[in-house]
Amino acid sequence: MTGLRREASLALAIARKDALAELRGRSAAVSTLFFAAVVLLLFGFALGPDTQRLADAAPGLLWLALVFAGVLAVDRLHLLETDDGALEQLALYPITRRAIYAGKAIGGFVVMLVLGVVVLGAVGILFAVDVAAALLPLLVTVVLGAVGIAAVGTFYAGVTVRLRAREVMLPLLMLPVLAPLLLGAVKATSAALAGDPFGELGAWLQLLVAFDVIMVVAGAATYGYLLED
Amino acid sequence: MPQTIYVSPRSVGAHDTRPPAVVTTDLARLFAGSPALAGVSLNVAAGRTIALLGPNGAGKTTLMRIVATAIRPSYGTAMVDGMDLARHADLVRERVAYLSHATGLYDDLTARENLAFAATLLATPDRGARVERALGDIGLLDRAGDRVRDFSAGMRKRLALGRILLGSASLVLLDEPLAALDDDGMGLVEQLLAAWHDAGVTVLIASHATERLEPFLDGRIVLERGVVAETSGEGVSSIPPSLAAPPRPAVAAR
Repeated sequence: MTGLRREASLALAIARKDALAELRGRSAAVSTLFFAAVVLLLFGFALGPDTQRLADAAPGLLWLALVFAGVLAVDRLHLLETDDGALEQLALYPITRRAIYAGKAIGGFVVMLVLGVVVLGAVGILFAVDVAAALLPLLVTVVLGAVGIAAVGTFYAGVTVRLRAREVMLPLLMLPVLAPLLLGAVKATSAALAGDPFGELGAWLQLLVAFDVIMVVAGAATYGYLLED
Repeated sequence: MPQTIYVSPRSVGAHDTRPPAVVTTDLARLFAGSPALAGVSLNVAAGRTIALLGPNGAGKTTLMRIVATAIRPSYGTAMVDGMDLARHADLVRERVAYLSHATGLYDDLTARENLAFAATLLATPDRGARVERALGDIGLLDRAGDRVRDFSAGMRKRLALGRILLGSASLVLLDEPLAALDDDGMGLVEQLLAAWHDAGVTVLIASHATERLEPFLDGRIVLERGVVAETSGEGVSSIPPSLAAPPRPAVAAR
């Protein structure tokens, strides 16, 4: 098996293990979904009953809910590694640090993808937005956003997993870095929902692709240092 | 529990020409400025079973964690099978198995799933059969489908020992292997030590109580306050730092 194929198979094994553990502890996945729904509802209450106003704000609310829920999701995936020294054991296997990062990031991506699809549907229902009319560009945006959140979140969850103030430090470190993604994803979602009248959707999606590539490469190159003491 | 435990052989015959399993030179590790190890120079021959003795805080676990590549030394060097830990950590990890105080198991996975995951990451050949065999060897075949969350401390330790059987390590590091084990569990450790000895695997055991393991030991290292207080038996020596360290100029160059 070539090196890259072996790394891919190891990454998938780690992601599969995370998925299995996450499914067994179903309460965490469900509570993350509920958290995203509560964020949407609270923002909705804050904006008032004006349906046009809610529809205009829907792209921003969608991505704020996803980013906040994403912080919880990636934190949870790294918490699995705190079971009785599991993270140290994972680092002691004769595998590349890149494969460990990729495995954790794939797990985060799948969780974010599921969250994204569910929250997108919830936004359509709660804010009376016609999601079905622009389903393909919206799904592409959700996929690119999920990659970015997982890439950044996996790295920073690795930074904070051994800290006592983990719950505070993770969003503090992660959210500022996600600002370009938030901007691109909100703009791309707005353009998609409006039928892309100014032809800007492609440019925002390109921004998301560039963000994802940079974050995945940077995360894979530096994650190994986080595993060393 | 079966009488013979399968261990990948590492021996190269009666006259072992392998490099020393572990060589450390002036090895030191500081935690928050305090030395846990303060200049340890050791040479452990391949294929030997060596006890690492000493009171709490002597530096036994720190030394093991450095050799296992779990932590980096603050000063000094360490080599496993002739390979420098700092430069060839990836290669060293293929050769070292480490049983620490923490078992490194996933609570929400079953015993079988935990070992299957380890076998995948260790690239164990004939994975399924080896996992089943390891489960049988450690006496957990009848609990293989149960989640580890429900296991006792002793069962978790057995499972962690089973994980070592899936690899082909030439150096096994055991930190307090008898802790939490019942009489059967201690018997399992004895069987493993015999199997590793026969297969030419080097074993370093950190423990407070080695009376039970005495028949399996070739040598002993006593650590006190982060330095080697004494070595005895076969296959182990403490290299004086003056001989181990590279020559230093007596007067600084001008």
